[in-house]
Amino acid sequence: MDDTLEQPNPFSNSSAREEEDEQGSSGDEDGGLDWTKLPQGNSTARPIIPKRGEKDFEPAQGGGSGLQRHNLERARAAMFDAIRSTRAISSKSVSYAVWYPDLARAHVTVARGVHFTSMGHSVQRPSSRSSSSSGKPQKRLELLPEEALYLVEKGALFCWKASREGEGGDVEWDSASQGAPMSVQQAYAEMIGKQDLTLDRYLAFAYLRRLGYIVTRAKSPSPAYPVPAAYPISQKRSTASIFSRVLAALCSPFRRFLSWLIQPSTTWWRPLVHRRWLHHNMDYPSIFRTLRFFPSGHSVPLQSQPPRSIFYHLHKPNSPYRKTMPPPPDFAIVVVNARTTPIPTLAELTCMYEGLPVVPPPVPRKRRPSFEKQVPGPKYSPSQRARSEFSTIPPDWVVVAFPVQLLVVPRQMQHQSRLTLSWHSDKEISPSSSLLWMWAPVSFFRFGQGAFEEWPMA
Amino acid sequence: MKGARKRNLIYADPLPITFSPIENRFAVTVLGIFGISPFRVLNPRCEGTFDPATRSVWITNRRDSVILWKCGFFGKGNLSRSEPSWLARQSRIGTATGRLTSEEVTAKRRAERKQFKLDRARAIAAAAAEAEAAFAEGRIIPAEETRPSIPSAATWKPSEFTRNIAVPSSERCQEAGDLGAELSDDMEHLQLTLAEAFFLAWALDCLTIYHPKRPEPMTLDEIWTAFQTAHLPLHLGSSLSQTHVLRPDNPFLINYVFLHHYRSLGWVVKSGVKFCVDYLLYKRGPVFHHAEFAMVLIPVYEDPDDAESSPFTISNVEPFTWQWLSTINRVNSQVQKTLVLCYVTIPALSRLSVAELSSPSCFERYVIREIIIRRFVPARMRD
Repeated sequence: MDDTLEQPNPFSNSSAREEEDEQGSSGDEDGGLDWTKLPQGNSTARPIIPKRGEKDFEPAQGGGSGLQRHNLERARAAMFDAIRSTRAISSKSVSYAVWYPDLARAHVTVARGVHFTSMGHSVQRPSSRSSSSSGKPQKRLELLPEEALYLVEKGALFCWKASREGEGGDVEWDSASQGAPMSVQQAYAEMIGKQDLTLDRYLAFAYLRRLGYIVTRAKSPSPAYPVPAAYPISQKRSTASIFSRVLAALCSPFRRFLSWLIQPSTTWWRPLVHRRWLHHNMDYPSIFRTLRFFPSGHSVPLQSQPPRSIFYHLHKPNSPYRKTMPPPPDFAIVVVNARTTPIPTLAELTCMYEGLPVVPPPVPRKRRPSFEKQVPGPKYSPSQRARSEFSTIPPDWVVVAFPVQLLVVPRQMQHQSRLTLSWHSDKEISPSSSLLWMWAPVSFFRFGQGAFEEWPMA
Repeated sequence: MKGARKRNLIYADPLPITFSPIENRFAVTVLGIFGISPFRVLNPRCEGTFDPATRSVWITNRRDSVILWKCGFFGKGNLSRSEPSWLARQSRIGTATGRLTSEEVTAKRRAERKQFKLDRARAIAAAAAEAEAAFAEGRIIPAEETRPSIPSAATWKPSEFTRNIAVPSSERCQEAGDLGAELSDDMEHLQLTLAEAFFLAWALDCLTIYHPKRPEPMTLDEIWTAFQTAHLPLHLGSSLSQTHVLRPDNPFLINYVFLHHYRSLGWVVKSGVKFCVDYLLYKRGPVFHHAEFAMVLIPVYEDPDDAESSPFTISNVEPFTWQWLSTINRVNSQVQKTLVLCYVTIPALSRLSVAELSSPSCFERYVIREIIIRRFVPARMRD
């Protein structure tokens, strides 16, 4: 029950982190970054993902020593060097779009880069240009507000605002005559609030997107929006064939009679009756079985209440994703503000689980052998295995909780190797010079349905 | 390994009810033909006294408390952390021999850990001083080079000095030796929670509960009412008639439903107050494994009006804040336990008749559901 001798050890972070990895519950993303690991001085070099440095165990007596001061200075200088560089994107890799406020969509006129494999959807819009006579509908690529805002913020998209409302459908975009370029600030001001997008939801979207997840709307905002494939019917419920069900129905009166004949009569004042004939409660498994009479589990109906609805669907980064035919999502996401709302009630949870499939418990993960050698006695491994068998977690949905305060972090910090961002400066078009990313401390919780009743220990 | 086998023998029975086989081999065969079990049920018939003030049942008989602890880990010694080991600890003080009790193991480990921290701090200070001296000379020692000299939890071994810490000094020994002679009788009793006591008395029928005032056993009917009355606020205690006492949201009933359900699934249910939760679930028992699940018991009213008319203050009815959920989840993932929210649905008062409420038949109406909580770290769960 007590914790073991294992202490958080400042000198073997890597192994400790691996261990926590299994738990998925460490909080090292809350910490700072070691700026000295960034490339020194030159803004053109491609940045690498910085690793965290190590803390001194305790401050030296009598204030900082010469060495500590030297280290601090070095780290600070590295940070300033990293921030100082001018942000720029290549004119060859940037995409272009026009924002239509009344449609709440951005029409992509020039699509470049990998983002569009998982973002945007094609819509048929009537070509309504007053000069062109043909009213033939044309397919075009459109972005939801969060997608457009995300790309603008990344510097991957240059967005114009349509000057005339409801304009659309033209193939050649002529910037000078039809709109004004949008700054990031303007994009934030205009796009948040459109099509049910709140700031909380956008932050969740951007955070997950940056990590490589594919985030789609759970409820189609328009008929043209691709709907994910239905979940495969869960195996558990489909096992009983028609034949066996008919057989069970035929047998049930007979079985009831038999059990009436055999079972010792029970009253509520005496639930456990031992009987030696036919071994009633003559061993521990049968005693435990007799005592199991509470209705339990999520299949028991509940008087339900209005839901908090699922807003996003989440696909893991490596999942095979096709934009036109999205596969069933890996997670369903509800975004809430943690300061203003309590955790969902049972009724709300039940509502949200509806329509989500029951997935069999995950296969126990093998521990890395190299790691096992380092730590004497992997104390919890048997229990961990049992636990992962046990937690029939599946209709995974994640609540995203936001504290309200926003940290403002310069954008260079947020590089992920996966999201390639080119730093070439052949032609600089920085949408705004002081571009900042808002960064909210986001916390995710996974709410899984338990099924203890299906896994008795005895 | 030997210890494990011994444990398996001592704690072999998951419930106080045991089965003894019939010795006659011929009889066993004959009985088997007629479908009759060759075992006899041995009911230990333990005895305890109800104590309304502490809302517990006291087992003062040494034999019974040993049985209830070894077979199913029921109760807690009132002078011990879990197993009633006070007498063992007292008698050991003079002699320093025999098996360490769990309290002593913990004390020893804490002393060792303290020593480890001191050693480590010393080693780090030495390394820092060395690096500082080198810096003054114009060299910088990379952090990697100082690592081997600093002990980690994996490499540090207790020295002879620390190993002897747990053994008391000779002075204390003598003093305690004198005391030990006087305290030869057991001052400790086993405390059962009301839910545990009712499980033993009603579901397993192996505990007789005596009246707190009179030396006579209580009937199940009396126990049913008395245990629920014990949870009433003091000022209401005796002034109400029975119909007011019996409500489906009585804390005794809610806790009993929880305990019984997980006991019936074979888990050992213990208090989880150490980890900010209501209960811990152990596989087989605390001597075998660490608790696997930390359970928060959340009562849910089927009829919200009942919550308003309730004389009880029931915790967790209002949903948690996210901060509190994060707190308890942090605490429990630190100790490798999975946090589970266990929702017990309280049937509406309007749906229950007085007859139902005055017997355990109302148990059929409670429903139990679990929600498993895990923190989701998107950066780590990308594939």
